[in-house]
Amino acid sequence: MQTQIKEGFQTFKSIFIGMGITLRHFFQPSVTIQYPEVRDVLPAGARSKLFVNIDDCIGCNLCARACPVNCIDIETVKATADIDLGKTSTGNPKRLWVTQFDIDMSKCMYCDLCVHPCPTNCIYMVQEYEYSEFDRKNLIFKFSDLTPDKVIEVKEKLVKETEEKNREKELAQQKKDQEKEKDAGKTGE
Amino acid sequence: MTHQISANVQETREMTINMGPQHPSTHGVLRLEVVLNGEVVSRVHPHIGYLHRCFEKHAEAMDDYSKVIPYTDRIDYVSAMNQEHGYVIAVEKLLQLEVPERVEYVRVILAELQRIASHLLGIGTFGLDLGAFTPFLYCFIEREKILTIFEKISGARLLYNYICVGGLMRDVPDSFKPETADFVKTFRPKIKELNDLLSYNKIFIDRTANIGILPAEVALNYAASGPMLRGSGVSWDLRKNDPYSIYDRFEFDIPVGSGEVGTVGDCWDRYMVRVREMEQSLVIIEQALEQMPDEGNVMEAVPKRIRMKEGEVYVRTETPRGELGYYIISDKSPSPFRVKVRAPSFVNLSILPAISRGALLSDLVAIVGSIDIVLGEVDR
Repeated sequence: MQTQIKEGFQTFKSIFIGMGITLRHFFQPSVTIQYPEVRDVLPAGARSKLFVNIDDCIGCNLCARACPVNCIDIETVKATADIDLGKTSTGNPKRLWVTQFDIDMSKCMYCDLCVHPCPTNCIYMVQEYEYSEFDRKNLIFKFSDLTPDKVIEVKEKLVKETEEKNREKELAQQKKDQEKEKDAGKTGE
Repeated sequence: MTHQISANVQETREMTINMGPQHPSTHGVLRLEVVLNGEVVSRVHPHIGYLHRCFEKHAEAMDDYSKVIPYTDRIDYVSAMNQEHGYVIAVEKLLQLEVPERVEYVRVILAELQRIASHLLGIGTFGLDLGAFTPFLYCFIEREKILTIFEKISGARLLYNYICVGGLMRDVPDSFKPETADFVKTFRPKIKELNDLLSYNKIFIDRTANIGILPAEVALNYAASGPMLRGSGVSWDLRKNDPYSIYDRFEFDIPVGSGEVGTVGDCWDRYMVRVREMEQSLVIIEQALEQMPDEGNVMEAVPKRIRMKEGEVYVRTETPRGELGYYIISDKSPSPFRVKVRAPSFVNLSILPAISRGALLSDLVAIVGSIDIVLGEVDR
């Protein structure tokens, strides 16, 4: 009987202690925020979404190679000799057309590993976190600013240039061979 | 309380039921096949593998050792910093790399903060399983403060990828030291509050004391580690018994279960070890903050390319859940030949059938909660 009373007393005591603590918390300011109306300020360097400043991209493919999940797809085309693509803001010369720079944010695991190797600091995380989509395909972000026509044009130009170069090489080779034959003929006499 | 079926109680037919994989108190996707005799558990068989993500195979497929680090975060997503720490120590040991002082201190502080955050979640959800909703919310308020500190230094709240081979991904901001010190100061009274609210609550004690008693001998036979082992009264902490990183420089106690309100090794003891460990983590953080050098380049020792020699290494570290081991074999190639993880949750969960025999079904919830499993780590 006595132990029962004791236990009952202890139960009530712990209930009142608990109530006291919750009452104290009741008068403290709330820690939650009403999300869509009020937004928390993200700290600098928060990792929310990848962004590429395509003007600075030299198409070196280092970020794609650093990615553990292969969510970055880069395709480049060599610029022909008659075109100068200029320099990036960090002073690196641009030699490639970046015809495709796709990042699949549905695959991305926000590890930040692609950001560090970039020589021109053109790929980085931005603090945009509301980009949910109904279709998964819409999460593939295309950063290349070349139009499809331009890509075809650039590719054709390169093919033409390489063909010309090859032809020149062949001609040069033929000339060499002819000279060699002549030389051989001379020595043969 | 191990329930004894008295002779005059009618024998019932055994019934097999499933608890999980979607049961809220299994802390994830764990399926427990429970054979019940009335309300008393005769056998429990845990079915795992619902969250298997091939970590070890993924690690072999990566063509760089540092690419594995984001995957290690995802093993135990509740204590990602400790996971990274363990893996990075293993790789550094294989590379025979010396790490700057400042980096070591920052890593230890982060690991201890993460331990507190993880224990807060473990304690909160344990209370939630037993019907105490309020402590869960209060624990989350405190955990949020730690996550905010982590977010400021690494940019992520849960999966940090912050500790890298040879250093840290970026230097900690200036606000790190005062904010951490401030947290330590404000958190001490909160532990007392938690004790009043939950630990010494009569209802909570009634639900946890003398339940799921794990004798020290059984714990050792099952290779339990962490709070699970210490709760049974065995003083074993890798930070003291096999110091890694710079843990030999700090003074702290190892809390062990003492059977204060019940028997040694019951659910309450395991719970209380976690609460007391948070206090000890605060002690370590205070000492580390004091000793931490203010200047120093954290990227100093980071190798540009990891050139691995042939060899193998096993490194064990103390995570909030117990002994985390990384066994790495390297064959000169840039990708690891084999990465084996000894996950503490997996080993601790294997004791469940042994300690829940004869318990009530409602106590099984308490026992599972007191093991504090993370299914990501159990299945990897």
